[in-house]
Amino acid sequence: MSTQEQKRRFELLQGTLDLLILRTLLFGPAHGYAIAKTIEFQSDDVLQVEQGSLYPALHRLIKRKWLSVEEGTSENNRRAKFYGLTAKGRKQLAVETTKWDSIAGAIARILRPAGEEGES
Amino acid sequence: MRRRKRMLDELDQDIRDHIERETQDNVARGMPPEEARRRAFLKFGNVSRVKEETRKVWTFVWLEQLLQDLRFALRMLRKSPGFTAVAVLTLALGIGANTALFSMVDWVTLRVPPVAKPNQIATVMAEDISGGYDNGFSYPDFADIRNQSAAVFSDVAGTIIFAQDGLSADGNNEPIWTNYVTGNFFELLGVKPALGNFIEPVSGHSLDSEPVLVLGYAYWKTHFGGDPHVIGKNVLINGHPVIIIGVAPKGFRGIISLLDTQGYLPLGMAAVTSDAKNDFATDRKNGSVMIVARLKPGVKLGSAQPVLKVIGQRLAAQYPASDKWKSLLGVAFGPMSAGSDPQSDAVVKVVSALFLILAGCVLILACLNVANLLLARASGRQREMAVRAAVGGARSRLIRQLLTESLLLALLGCVGGIVLGLLASRYMSSINLHMSVPLILDFQFDWRVFVYAFSVAALTALLVGIAPALRATRGDLNNLLHESARTATVGSLRARSVLVVAQVGGSLMLLIVAGLFVRSLQNVDHANLGFDPGNVLNFTMDPHQTGYNQAQAQEFLKNLLPRVRALPGVETASLAATVPMGGIHLGAELKINGYQLRKGESAPHPGYNAVSPQYFNTMRIPILRGRNFLDSDNKKSQYVAVINEVMAEKYWHGENPIGRHFAWANEPQHPVEIIGEVKNSRTAHVTGTYEPYMYVPLAQRYDYELPVTLQLRTSLPLAAMNHEVVSTIQSLAPAMPVFDVQTMTAALDTTNGLLLFQFGAGLAASLGFLGLALAVVGVYGVVSYGASQRTHEIGIRMALGAEPAQVLRMIFEQGLFIVGGGIIVGILAAAAIARLAGNLLVGVAALDPLTYITASLLLAAIALLASYIPARRAMKVDPMVALHYE
Repeated sequence: MSTQEQKRRFELLQGTLDLLILRTLLFGPAHGYAIAKTIEFQSDDVLQVEQGSLYPALHRLIKRKWLSVEEGTSENNRRAKFYGLTAKGRKQLAVETTKWDSIAGAIARILRPAGEEGES
Repeated sequence: MRRRKRMLDELDQDIRDHIERETQDNVARGMPPEEARRRAFLKFGNVSRVKEETRKVWTFVWLEQLLQDLRFALRMLRKSPGFTAVAVLTLALGIGANTALFSMVDWVTLRVPPVAKPNQIATVMAEDISGGYDNGFSYPDFADIRNQSAAVFSDVAGTIIFAQDGLSADGNNEPIWTNYVTGNFFELLGVKPALGNFIEPVSGHSLDSEPVLVLGYAYWKTHFGGDPHVIGKNVLINGHPVIIIGVAPKGFRGIISLLDTQGYLPLGMAAVTSDAKNDFATDRKNGSVMIVARLKPGVKLGSAQPVLKVIGQRLAAQYPASDKWKSLLGVAFGPMSAGSDPQSDAVVKVVSALFLILAGCVLILACLNVANLLLARASGRQREMAVRAAVGGARSRLIRQLLTESLLLALLGCVGGIVLGLLASRYMSSINLHMSVPLILDFQFDWRVFVYAFSVAALTALLVGIAPALRATRGDLNNLLHESARTATVGSLRARSVLVVAQVGGSLMLLIVAGLFVRSLQNVDHANLGFDPGNVLNFTMDPHQTGYNQAQAQEFLKNLLPRVRALPGVETASLAATVPMGGIHLGAELKINGYQLRKGESAPHPGYNAVSPQYFNTMRIPILRGRNFLDSDNKKSQYVAVINEVMAEKYWHGENPIGRHFAWANEPQHPVEIIGEVKNSRTAHVTGTYEPYMYVPLAQRYDYELPVTLQLRTSLPLAAMNHEVVSTIQSLAPAMPVFDVQTMTAALDTTNGLLLFQFGAGLAASLGFLGLALAVVGVYGVVSYGASQRTHEIGIRMALGAEPAQVLRMIFEQGLFIVGGGIIVGILAAAAIARLAGNLLVGVAALDPLTYITASLLLAAIALLASYIPARRAMKVDPMVALHYE
């Protein structure tokens, strides 16, 4: 049973992480370490993602053709892989963002039902 | 696949880089290196788990599911070993019959000799004015065709195939089947020698007569023990010295892969080893040079045809006396192309198709049987499937699961089938042909056979699996879950009955065709051959192989006969140029005094045999009119002939032909007088209509280059005579090769004779009995299954007072319906397919009522017996047990 639960949590995390990656890459291609740092930084260290889980997620997105990979040189002159959004990925980001917003909105309504009712 | 590999290859490096950066970041923030590294690892998480997760992203889900399905299928099959064994064995028989047969068809029609780019090679054939086809050209014609076809052919070679020569090496004289080839022959085919050199092109296309010999690989192995020092060895071909210069590669048997060429000599040697033909290079009338050509790169055979046609018409107009051609045509290179014309090629294809269809029927029967078994299982598993669907199994997933099961069955059957097929074709390859011709029965399993077997198996899996799978997964879950297994099967029982009707029909068809073949074999065996092969022994000699000339050969034969006749146990002894159903047949154009050719009729061209006195006594061919040949019929006396009934009827309209005259078209100076008429007898083929045929004295028309056969009638067995006869021959001519030593009965088993019929009958009979066995299993299975499904119903009926006999009839009726329907289907199918076999049947019509009725009765009896057993069992059901059932 415990493995089942773990899996579910991981899946939940997975969807979120996918969204964060897509969002991060909206401003242009980046290499793996940069993506991890950006997520960490932008979420003010609230979302403490295990950096390793970034990689399965990246590969999953590549397989779905939401991301593309290119070889490049990083700022300190090392060869690195640069991940970038594909057109499909860009579309998916919009879809996921909308979905996320509605879920977030729903959760917010559930958590503050009285206030909402009062306003309507 | 490649993308996956590329992505994963660099994963390790990426992760290492990532951790390295984090470490450096930490160091930059002032941590000691050890601590910085530890923190970086901590932050990254479990490296090996990350790798595993990432790898999983790229694994194929379907592959994993397939493995899962396979494991499950294996478990299901292991759970019911009886079902699995029957199904696998049934499929193995079906697939085995098919692969064995396919390996034969492959051998006859598909396997091309191992030459470079065979699809660029063509042989040339002349279409005669009379409508026949001829691939033997005179040397001048060959040269003209070669010189005029440079626009479409990059190279043209000539070869005389299958000359029977004698090879003397180290004092032994052995027959050798040779090809005489032009110098460019091997180069054109793109064949490289296994040892030494090949015959090479000579400048300016002149006729090469260098005394050299290239050995065939198998002959080199068997006669020279594979000795590499054979190169440079001096041997004699028909008494003429030649040097062995090379050995052909393994697997290359000449341009007809069905026959093994044992040696190759330069084309010009044909005029030397048979010194009578010194006008070989100029004589346009005679010759048997086959033409092999290589198309220019980019030229298709189709675009070469008009060019050949023009050449043919030009030559025919230029030399009307010899080149009686309508046209020339190119024939694509195949296993038999060199020896066959479009007509006989078509016969081979029809026969191949016939047997493939029959074998296909056996496979379909096997499939039906297995499908039936699977259907029975499917209805039993309908509830299992419903449950699985209810807990969320997608229908496509369930169907895939069931198809995996049938695929596994088919694969197991395929492996079994290949083993059975190998055994069968081993057996067929080992059949002794009783022939001196090195015919290769080589039913190998090459890649084509395996591809065929596996595609048959895959198709089988689909065929037997799809219907039960659809049925098992069909339907309304709710209903199914509430229904009992009993009522759920009524529909499937009907479907199964239809399958069994088809099955009975199919096996009846196989039985009928088998019956037709067996009947026709009987007819051939009993056929009035017109001569009596019993107690006749054959000894074939070839004087020209020892280097004899015409006079020496004739002298030898003249002295031989009295000595053989004096041997104890010999009733009569005679000589003949050819033996019935043998490899050689003679024929010649005649001018018949007083016979008017009708419009469009070609000149008389009967077959003939040159024989010694006593021939008709040895063969027991009855003389109807006139007299036998005598020793006094020789070169100095009046030329004489004995003709058969058909020839008398055709050219003398049934009047007494004795005393009439004709002349050989190429020897008009010697008028021939007819001195006798004999009964028709079989000469070249055991079937078909009798053709005009005649006999002439060996003393008056003898070609010493052909072998001659000593035939003697004796009540002693071959083993008792063999040594004495051979030593008598060799006391006169020590180096004389004696071969084809066999009884006349055995000599009939050649490809021209009975062999084909025995082969066909044996093959058809085995397929027929295979079909019968499958039908019995099918009928028994469906009726007993039906009975067991109705146990409950039977119990109620019996409890309500039904007599056991009524129950018996009820169950039996189902069997009767199946058998009756099957017989109608089978007779219709057999009538359709038997027409294809028409050519192979002797003395029995394709719609022979006796065969049809016998086969139907046999099948009906066996099938009804198969349904009687379960019906009897149903009759004995105890009502109490039946009602408590379930």
